[in-house]
Amino acid sequence: MTNSLNDIRHAKSMIFIGSNATEAHPVSMQHILHAKEVNNAPIIVVDPRFTKLAAKATEFVRIRPGSDAAFIMGLINEIISKGWEDKEFIRTRVAGYEEMVEVARHYTPEVVEDITGIPAAQTRQVAEILAKNRPTSLTWCMGGTQHHIGSSITRSFCILQLVLGNMGKSGGGTNIFRGHDNVQGATDMCVLADNLPGYYGLSDGAWQHWCRVWDVDYDSIVSRFPAKEWMGKKGFSLARWYEGVLNEEELETPTPVKAMIQWGCGSNSNSQYNRVVKALNKLELLVIVDPFPTIAAAVTKTDNVYLLPSASQYETSGSVTSTSRQIQWRYKVVDPVYDSKDDYQIMELLVNKLGFADEYYKNIKEVPEDITREINKGMLTIGYNGQTPERIKKHMENWHTFDIDDLQAKGGPCDGDYYGMPWPCWTEEHPGTPILYDISKSVKEGGLPFRNRFGDVTTYVMTGREEGQLAAKGVCNPGSEVQGGYPEFKDVVPGTNWKTDLSQKTIKTAIDKGMAPFGNARARCVVWNFPDQVPIHREPLHSPRPDLVAKYPTYEDKPNHFRVNTRYKSEQKTDLVKDYPYVITTGRMVEHMGGGAETRSSKYLSELQPEMYAEINPRLANNLGIRKGDMMIIESPEGSKIKVKAFITPRVDEKTIFLPFHFAGTLMGESYLQDYPEGHAPYVVGDPGNVVTNYGYDIITQIQATKDGLCKVTRA
Amino acid sequence: MARMRFLCDTERCIDCSGCVVACKEGNHVPVGVNRRRVITMKQGEPGEKSISVACMHCSDAPCIAVCPVDAIYQREDGIVLVSKKTCIGCGYCFMACPFGAPQFPKGNVFGARGAMDKCTFCAGGPEENFSKDEKQLYGQNRIAEGKPPLCSAMCATKALLAGDADIVADVYRTRVFERGSGVNAWGWSRAYKKD
Repeated sequence: MTNSLNDIRHAKSMIFIGSNATEAHPVSMQHILHAKEVNNAPIIVVDPRFTKLAAKATEFVRIRPGSDAAFIMGLINEIISKGWEDKEFIRTRVAGYEEMVEVARHYTPEVVEDITGIPAAQTRQVAEILAKNRPTSLTWCMGGTQHHIGSSITRSFCILQLVLGNMGKSGGGTNIFRGHDNVQGATDMCVLADNLPGYYGLSDGAWQHWCRVWDVDYDSIVSRFPAKEWMGKKGFSLARWYEGVLNEEELETPTPVKAMIQWGCGSNSNSQYNRVVKALNKLELLVIVDPFPTIAAAVTKTDNVYLLPSASQYETSGSVTSTSRQIQWRYKVVDPVYDSKDDYQIMELLVNKLGFADEYYKNIKEVPEDITREINKGMLTIGYNGQTPERIKKHMENWHTFDIDDLQAKGGPCDGDYYGMPWPCWTEEHPGTPILYDISKSVKEGGLPFRNRFGDVTTYVMTGREEGQLAAKGVCNPGSEVQGGYPEFKDVVPGTNWKTDLSQKTIKTAIDKGMAPFGNARARCVVWNFPDQVPIHREPLHSPRPDLVAKYPTYEDKPNHFRVNTRYKSEQKTDLVKDYPYVITTGRMVEHMGGGAETRSSKYLSELQPEMYAEINPRLANNLGIRKGDMMIIESPEGSKIKVKAFITPRVDEKTIFLPFHFAGTLMGESYLQDYPEGHAPYVVGDPGNVVTNYGYDIITQIQATKDGLCKVTRA
Repeated sequence: MARMRFLCDTERCIDCSGCVVACKEGNHVPVGVNRRRVITMKQGEPGEKSISVACMHCSDAPCIAVCPVDAIYQREDGIVLVSKKTCIGCGYCFMACPFGAPQFPKGNVFGARGAMDKCTFCAGGPEENFSKDEKQLYGQNRIAEGKPPLCSAMCATKALLAGDADIVADVYRTRVFERGSGVNAWGWSRAYKKD
């Protein structure tokens, strides 16, 4: 999130696309409804379903799954053709604008209607609402990302906000809601296949930086890899790790995956779930660390499964990072019950047993404070250095002194700080940055320009035009020594830059000059290292519109995409829709969470949502002879099937089937209940929706495309 | 004397059932017994609205009037409570209540109803405050602790308001005023059909 949940209170309009905040982020709704009620701010909800959020909307836009980029480029085109763009913002703080406009021109309201199903008049109307009610807060979630063009879709959202000049402003921003109180923290720690903590990447310099932080010999890290070259290569991603086990696709890896630790992971949130189950059964070792035995424990029939019961969040303490980039302290309520241990103990015991402790665990004496201190020391890229355990606890103890509207403490021991010191918090005196890229405040007081990350000058391949990437003259935070754009700070301490100078002298020098350590640049509309330099629409791999596939085809196949060959063009078959005529999309329900291991083990939540179902439109149900309470078989083009109850509702249109993905424990009439440890089976089981979500992965991030597949539906 | 009231603001209620779960967890209400539930109308259609409903603690409560053993009574602050030790489980109150608030235990083979259970406004029962008996029969007594009921304390969007009727009315009045004609009031543009 560039802004915070609280800051949405200042929005003059809101647009949600691929987000069902009422069910996935209910607490955010108090701020959203505040803006709606007090500012009379319109809420635009763009979704294939009439969600519970749509029930609170002033404008509901029903979109065909996977066509988000076309709609947003259409909005941009409409805004520009009416002259509603923020010309000054674009002139001074945006790069690659002309190239982007060239691409956007294609998406007229009529073209958008053909691709997305949204009437041309509604696209025009939404553009007008956004133009006349600024600033707009834009929110997307997995409905925006989980497509094979997810990276283009999310970029189109950012570009829309640049065109409207809504970035770096209170009430504006791109506000991507994260799940629970530490999903942003997990992201920042880069529990990812292509990054070291703090988004440092996998370069040699990144490894050396973290070796200095950890005080570990670089060569000893190198020696843990089969060869040095593998240190810099991406690993298997969360979306396709199982291919590394199965070894049936073309892999580029020194060895297939043999062992796995699933630490707080609901495996049924993976698409292609039948392949996941097959892989779980092929592993030589599976360790599951979780407060509840997950479905992975039940579906794995081998003897090589170990369950380590971990404590819940109430039985441990430590720092967590919320969706608004705020760092908070979780206090322990009770000691871990029964045999469970908290995550730190489990990690420490493992490290000791494996014999790494002397080298890798030596800095951790006081748990968990020393872990937060290690984060403070190393994660300079995103300014995690000012939030010491002491400061975080002080904020928790003085909640009442912070203002609900702007999050700043007014007086008291935290005077001037923003609650939770939203990152970047550059020094131990810095108040935190409540709104990213806000040049109305000095850097020292929590302001920031756009980061200089992609050089000073670029020549665009598309037009041959050369453009400076730094911000225009005169555009900077108040008090800046340089009046205008400037590059990132380096060589203050020779041989280092602001990200790698552990003395943090570079950062302090920049702040003293009133400048941002990472420079002052333009936000770019053209990403020259992506296959689509400007976002465009491409039809979903499994498209219900064969006529559009020719016009908007997918990418070429991509070998070695996170070590696995990934099919695009060879997977996009235009005749699929004949046998699989309905679009399948997935999502959340408010009562259950993720894979549901925890919530389906709660008797009250289970009582409220006791059964797996699929949403089907009344008209489609009648056409297929499906009545209320009937069971249906849903089949994916891969041939996997689930048997679920029909929930007949106008939430979905006649072409779309919606599945919640929280269930597991049965499959086509077969039950796994007896395969849980005695007394530990969840109250509620059902067929996993992800058995039938289709093949498909983002071209950059490899996130699974669970929102725009095809399926066949029959009465069971 | 304050008069206790619930008010569910349907513009705010998002059908999350947080109130239902808070009530059940906090008071150890058995599965199948619903002191509170969320009702949704026009689900999946424009105009969809949800409302959280429990015992309304009526001023002139029909359940009190029909109870043949005088098990139901009203406190000075308006909270309507039942004495489970007096209740005979006849179900008259269930028939009289316009909101379906009275609940009866499930599971007996011959349909024996057992003592009636309903929302206590988190104010326990006639037994001594904070006694073991009170806790076992009715759950928490948060009112005696000076706290609001669990359901409204949990409400993510502050849709469910509970407390002194005057204050609840003030909060709601302020909201309606702030909303102006944008949400649900009849303003200028609606009167002249401009929307």
